[in-house]
Amino acid sequence: MPDLRARLFAPARDPLWGAVLAIALALLVSFVAIAASGRDALAGFGDLLSGALGGPGPLGETAIKSAVLVLTGLSVAVAFTVGLFNIGGEGQLIWGGLAAAVAGRLDSPLALPLSLVAAALAGAAWGALPGWLKVRRGVHEVISTILLNWVAIHLVHGWLVAGPLAAAGGGASISIAGTEPVSRAAWLPRPLPGSRLDLGFPLALLIAACVWFLLTRTRRGFEWRAVGASRDAAHASGIPAGRRICEAMALSGALAGLAGALLILGTEHKYPGVFRTGYGFDGIAVALVGGGTAAGTTLAALFFGALRAGATRLQLVGIHPSFAELIQGLAVLMVAAPRIFQPLLARLRGSSAPAASAPPVPTVQP
Amino acid sequence: MNLILDFAPPLVFAALGGVLSERAGVVNIGLEGMMRFGAFAAAAGSISTGSPWLGLLCGGLAGAAAAGVHALLSLRFRADQVVSGIALNLVALGLVTYLLQAVYGSPGVSPPAPALPRDRYGHTAMAYAALIVPVLFHVWLSYAPAGLRVRAVGEHPRAAATLGVRVLPLRAACVLGSGVLAGLGGAVLSVGILGQFDARMPAGQGFMALAAMVFGKWTPLGAAGAAFFFAAADAAQRQLSFSLHAADLRLEGVFLALPYALTLLVLALGIGRTRAPAADGVPYDPEGR
Repeated sequence: MPDLRARLFAPARDPLWGAVLAIALALLVSFVAIAASGRDALAGFGDLLSGALGGPGPLGETAIKSAVLVLTGLSVAVAFTVGLFNIGGEGQLIWGGLAAAVAGRLDSPLALPLSLVAAALAGAAWGALPGWLKVRRGVHEVISTILLNWVAIHLVHGWLVAGPLAAAGGGASISIAGTEPVSRAAWLPRPLPGSRLDLGFPLALLIAACVWFLLTRTRRGFEWRAVGASRDAAHASGIPAGRRICEAMALSGALAGLAGALLILGTEHKYPGVFRTGYGFDGIAVALVGGGTAAGTTLAALFFGALRAGATRLQLVGIHPSFAELIQGLAVLMVAAPRIFQPLLARLRGSSAPAASAPPVPTVQP
Repeated sequence: MNLILDFAPPLVFAALGGVLSERAGVVNIGLEGMMRFGAFAAAAGSISTGSPWLGLLCGGLAGAAAAGVHALLSLRFRADQVVSGIALNLVALGLVTYLLQAVYGSPGVSPPAPALPRDRYGHTAMAYAALIVPVLFHVWLSYAPAGLRVRAVGEHPRAAATLGVRVLPLRAACVLGSGVLAGLGGAVLSVGILGQFDARMPAGQGFMALAAMVFGKWTPLGAAGAAFFFAAADAAQRQLSFSLHAADLRLEGVFLALPYALTLLVLALGIGRTRAPAADGVPYDPEGR
């Protein structure tokens, strides 16, 4: 079986164009869907655009959402490099958010950095576990991360936040349920008045740059990629493949945990009673559309962040904001099967890329 | 006990769907999405026709339609099966919420749908079906020639192809059947248990079905047994928080996390022979070597 990256991205010999085409097609389908339901699709997309980019307020919303998606997307992309499919971003994000909410109660100037570190460590632990299970016990990471997501969701939401860590006097009503609020010192500062933009966005971009450097310019990154390309070959050339897998999964979990911290320290300021964000799962979409690279993933996160921010405006024309999820899902659907585009791409590029070099598409009827 | 027979059918059907697809060699992470489509279509069908049975049929067909997308992407276009399933879940999440809003003008719940009739013990026909279907499925998979072919295609497709089995059409059929089962499971949630569609459905039941399938070692009886066991844990937790004033203890989460943690433990410790079908998740290229 070819390695994960080859299976996911090699068929799209031109990942950038594949992603752009996928997003364009997804937008087109959703445009038709809105129009078909008898609404003004042009006005809807106008609202979407102004809700994402029109002024400091909307731009701040886009930045907040993009920052989280950059981190969860990178989390998935880092796991891809060692050939693992980390579906556990949601669980790692939940533990990270909880750790940030607990550490953030410290009333000290160091509360913010300490909360971020706590979140990264919590996420890393929850991420390294499936890595270890894969290396030592041969448990497939797709299954273990799915299971660990639900363990995290139920343990944190159904027990810790509702019981031992619940704020005194809360509990009964959902709106005030959750943990005690974090101290003011742990809030992510908001430098711009009139916008909810916080330091999370530059922080996420900085982390993205570090991840890019780590993956492409360091010995460790090279070894991770070698393990991802072929675990056996890497092992044979002296790379401790098992340890590298665990390390990469720990970083993957740490990134998702930091994403949870951004949500808690940036906007929620406590661990709320209901905290189902879906950002962990969206990270998969972001990484896939971004071609599994740090740069591509960051770009995809900016796009989907803007989409999410803009979608809240769609309510004005009577469309549920979950519409953003639909577009995102459709884009992944299209990216998932790059072979759909192969003939189209070949034609676009004309004679420069003869269609004959495209992998043969089986002609068997399903 | 009554609660178990109420909670189990959605899990049982979806878990059987997982077994059918994965024994034929196609990973099905999309169970959650197929259940969601099934639950919504069943409610919509039941509301518009007035018959919960037609609603159930709609649920199964919607699940099959969603599975059709999975089959097309992962078999015809050889997309990664995990990605294809995830995409399906994402689309189901967005599209069904969108449809709920567009058709019934509500972001939360559908109007009440005519529900399946209950017998004098309070069970729907689907509760009994959940007891019988796994046995029939087991017999079919173990002894029928078609069942043997399904297993062959999941273990060693190239060998099966050599013996004249058409791998891709058979796999596609199994994925579609998997969609029908998952769709029915979702349909039981809406027209069987609640009597309406709720925007949160199936609330992770598709993933729990996946866990049941793994816990049951990819066998119909094992998966169904695990589904009943998980449903029992769920029922026990509700009973407990009801009768013991355990609400103060707030231990629901621990109970709810238990099935997943147990499944992981079984996998990690390798209790018994826990092995996925050999060709599970491996794309089949009819022109390959």
